[in-house]
Amino acid sequence: MSVRFILRAGERGYSYLPAAGLNASYVAGHPDGVITRHSSFNFHEYQSGIPGLGVMKVFGDETFTPNGTGYNMHPHHNFIIMAFVLGGALTHINTIGKIDELSADDYYVFSAGSGGKHSELNIGGADLQVIYVWVLPGQLLAPPSYRHGHFDRAAGANRITCLVGDEPGALPIGQTSKVSRLLSDGGKTHTYRPSRANGFYAFVLEGEADIAEATLTRRDSIALEDEDKIEIAARAAGTDMLLVETKL
Amino acid sequence: MKKYLCLGCGFSYDEARGLPEHGIAPGTRWADIPEDWVCPDCGTPKSGFEMVEIPYHEEARPA
Repeated sequence: MSVRFILRAGERGYSYLPAAGLNASYVAGHPDGVITRHSSFNFHEYQSGIPGLGVMKVFGDETFTPNGTGYNMHPHHNFIIMAFVLGGALTHINTIGKIDELSADDYYVFSAGSGGKHSELNIGGADLQVIYVWVLPGQLLAPPSYRHGHFDRAAGANRITCLVGDEPGALPIGQTSKVSRLLSDGGKTHTYRPSRANGFYAFVLEGEADIAEATLTRRDSIALEDEDKIEIAARAAGTDMLLVETKL
Repeated sequence: MKKYLCLGCGFSYDEARGLPEHGIAPGTRWADIPEDWVCPDCGTPKSGFEMVEIPYHEEARPA
């Protein structure tokens, strides 16, 4: 087993994006609105220097304040953009013609392909907590697409559930990358079996887990490579994790 | 001929195709694009692009 990196919660890049001032056209909402973003990866811009893991270029842990804060309509190509809603409500609007409302445990996959714009808004009265993941596509300039999924907590308890990727019940993205969720009562060991050719990234949403002799707590993460069996020992009740297998 | 992708928004530049609508002729090498050039969609600087080896979707290949 090879550990590529361990990234503690406090070591991530941090962006504070108020809806006023220089960001006013980019960030939606009333002037007191703000998006806070903790970035695991950095586009070479932050001090920690982790550019991503294989085709995964963004893993953003974001909070939007209530009453209209978000990203105004802006363009993309090619990237496969996923949002996993942890709390609050997300309104997603895109140029495919979809207007979607997502609540806790809902997620989407927006493949920008040959070109698409989207807006991400928190029009509710509570903070929105959401994880954004971007991966490179398997093919350039594919027709844009949007799919909505939901993680069922009852069915997903004490097991690893594939949310995105080439698995039954998961949303397909046309490449070997996968995103899974692990929800555990704790005191249990869960096994993930990636393809040895792929990278593996585990991010602790809540709780505590041991992976590869490292103890990870809330919002810590670890990346591994050259492994086909990964043991995840969930230590705390309510341990909740996102697991990303990425093409390297 | 190589392809480059904007890490800010995903816009792709293909040396073979150039960007005629933005004044860059087909066949223009990445190295020959000015260093102060920015992504035409999102303004990310040239240094924020990454070389990619990803094939085109069948609908985006030359006829």
